[in-house]
Amino acid sequence: MDGPGGLREPVFVTGLGTLGAWGSGCDGLAAALAAGAPLAVEVDRAAGYHLPGGARRACLLPAGALAGWLSPAESRRMSPPSKLAVAASRMGLRCAGIDTADPADAAGEAGTAVVIATAFGPSTNTETLLKQILFENPEAASPSLFMESVANAPAAQIAIALKARGASLTICQREAGPLIALGTGAAEIAAGRAGRVLAGSVDEMTPLLHALLDRFGALARAEAGGEELARPFDRRRNGFLAGEGGTIAVLESAAGLAARGGRALARILAWGSAFDPTATPSGWGGGHRALARGLRRTLERAGVEPAGVDLVVSGAAGSIDGDRLEAEVLRAVWAGVPLPPVAAPKAVTGEYGGGHLAAAVLAAAGHPMGPTPGCEEPDPGLGLSPLDGSPLPPPSVVLATSLAAGGAAAWVVLGRA
Amino acid sequence: MQPDQPDRRVAVTGVGAVCGLGWGIPPLWAGLRAGQPGIGPFQRFDHSQHRTHLAAEVEAPPATLARVCPGWRRLSIADRFALFAALEAVETAGLATPFDQDDREEAGIGVYFGSSTGGMYESELFFAEFLRDPRRARLSALIPQQVNAPGDAVARHLGVTGPVATYSSACASGALALGAALAAVRSGEVEVAIAGGSDSLCQLTYAGFNSLRSVDEVPCRPFRAERAGMSFGEGAAVLVLEPLERALARGAEPLAVLAGAGASCDAHHMTAPDPSGAGAAAALEAALADAGLAAGTIDFVNVHGTGTPLNDAAEWQALRRVFGERAGGMPLVATKALIGHLLGCSGAIEAVATVLCLRHGELHPVRWDGAADPELPVALVLDDPLPLAGARAAVSTSLAFGGSNAALVFSRWMGPAA
Repeated sequence: MDGPGGLREPVFVTGLGTLGAWGSGCDGLAAALAAGAPLAVEVDRAAGYHLPGGARRACLLPAGALAGWLSPAESRRMSPPSKLAVAASRMGLRCAGIDTADPADAAGEAGTAVVIATAFGPSTNTETLLKQILFENPEAASPSLFMESVANAPAAQIAIALKARGASLTICQREAGPLIALGTGAAEIAAGRAGRVLAGSVDEMTPLLHALLDRFGALARAEAGGEELARPFDRRRNGFLAGEGGTIAVLESAAGLAARGGRALARILAWGSAFDPTATPSGWGGGHRALARGLRRTLERAGVEPAGVDLVVSGAAGSIDGDRLEAEVLRAVWAGVPLPPVAAPKAVTGEYGGGHLAAAVLAAAGHPMGPTPGCEEPDPGLGLSPLDGSPLPPPSVVLATSLAAGGAAAWVVLGRA
Repeated sequence: MQPDQPDRRVAVTGVGAVCGLGWGIPPLWAGLRAGQPGIGPFQRFDHSQHRTHLAAEVEAPPATLARVCPGWRRLSIADRFALFAALEAVETAGLATPFDQDDREEAGIGVYFGSSTGGMYESELFFAEFLRDPRRARLSALIPQQVNAPGDAVARHLGVTGPVATYSSACASGALALGAALAAVRSGEVEVAIAGGSDSLCQLTYAGFNSLRSVDEVPCRPFRAERAGMSFGEGAAVLVLEPLERALARGAEPLAVLAGAGASCDAHHMTAPDPSGAGAAAALEAALADAGLAAGTIDFVNVHGTGTPLNDAAEWQALRRVFGERAGGMPLVATKALIGHLLGCSGAIEAVATVLCLRHGELHPVRWDGAADPELPVALVLDDPLPLAGARAAVSTSLAFGGSNAALVFSRWMGPAA
């Protein structure tokens, strides 16, 4: 197939750039995932947006994580998500062994496409702009803030910085967006529409956004003196840890990779997506059968039986209904067959910002996944237990899953390179 | 899994739209044929402190819609536009809704949507209240805020269980969504694609584009000498795409064929287009190559034509690069001059306008008193509809913020023997 889903030509992940609460680079994330320790810190609550007793923590980018990846002149005109996107792209290209200082090399002969997912877009700029418009005067609106408030600003800034003249796509599908972006990027390569693709996800977590997510009841809260943890698949789970960051995967064809003599981290075998129309606009529904059909179809495209999956890198993040639906979908597909080990890296990285996407690629590349923080008491109603830290052999086939609030779902099947 | 059929042709079997000219395809086509702008004073929000005061605002919806659509009152304006356009398109296509079990389980139906701001208008109301007093703000007003909300609302209402994806690449969003839908139908990923876009007027974009001084104080005048910017519009447009063979087998009458799609990026500047037009030309050429058509086979272009001095100039350069000597004589349709700029929906509604022109065999005009720009010697369709019954193929272009370009190639449906 030359379009979404099945991939007629082999597509490889040849580089990975990632920034988030783990700092700058794959090594920091790999170490955090192996340790299984959540990376959350206190959120700035000084603006008064938060409820008393509400969530207090999120997985935020540490100061200095962007150092060395952007010039001051670039940085001053970019929104926070654009900075993350450009930095992660350069990091990914460097990981792939591609010289980012040479635009021709960075772009590749057949052109580079950019496919970026974002759940919320440039929130800082939007918030500031709205304050100017609504509380000062519409004519006080800053043009520089406006041009960096649009959802596709990060993709555009990547293109400008790296002279990427292929298609520029920004996908907004909440938590399913990052895997849809990776799959869409792979389809661009397989169809020959791009020689190289920078695909990934970027989001920032502002105090206002954090407070609003908490007011919706989406975020994990500390209960009875306990810790504020995401607790995916645990019977005590009550929400997710919000996160921020940027992750960009460099995608290339086998021919492109061979031509420049690079190495691959993982191979994308197939991807797929589906929708649960029973979901509410801000929650998860009960349509696990429909989603299970979508996941089965994805595995069929990859040529992989359920029993052939060695590791599931789940998008479960600790929400009551989202984790329940994820478990139902997995159980439906693995009916009669033992479930493979299930990792839930969002307990470490937080939700949003691409940590899950980066974790899936790292897992396929052989990096070990550690225990799942907060899941000491697996929910007996879900019928699965996430990783507890027991050593696992390096997987040959990794399934990355993500079920979004609102109904969308996406899966990517990754193989060892 | 459907077989890989990359060469199969994709028919447009249904269209739906809502815009400043009215709710539905009939008022849209009647308004386009008349060539009179639906751009004027508007009421959506207090714009007395804004720099400009015009938009192509959608009138109040027909009262029956609230009865047809459960939860209508909880939807954002952009969601309502999307739902109306989708229902009209699906009805035009002769598909029963909600989709029956066979369609959902076997055939595969997907939704591919474009939007720039989703429920931003409602979010602004919430935000203003929240910052004044967080205790009084109604959190429910934020639920449809997400950019993906219009596409999701369509999928939810129609009972879609296939892929659903929202593209938000500013003014190219709708065209990119259609390109994704085309790829999905061609590849067999889905048998039916509901593809389009939706956006509503909001203060963020109104003030934002005004801050860039890219909004005209009078209805926009694409390619005219005194053009001074765009005009805002709002609305939604949806096209139903399916394999031509499937459409014919079920007795549907194709309205047109979506023959190809292409995309590119200027990689030049966040708001200014590459003045050479190279980026836009690359998207056009990619779309033509995807369609397997030579530039010489294109009979007219529905231009992006925002009316900003830089954009129109760059688009002219792109047309010259692709069509060479023919560029000056190529009939151009400038839909934005009549319905305003629908931002993330513009590519979708201009695709609908292109399909209607092909279907009716005439190109809609615009009416202006202003002088042509001698630097841009284009052949805009002016004053009266241009009969073009022999038109076989057309291109619709979308050139966005951030340099994201998209182009779609449509060909006229001339029957199974053609």
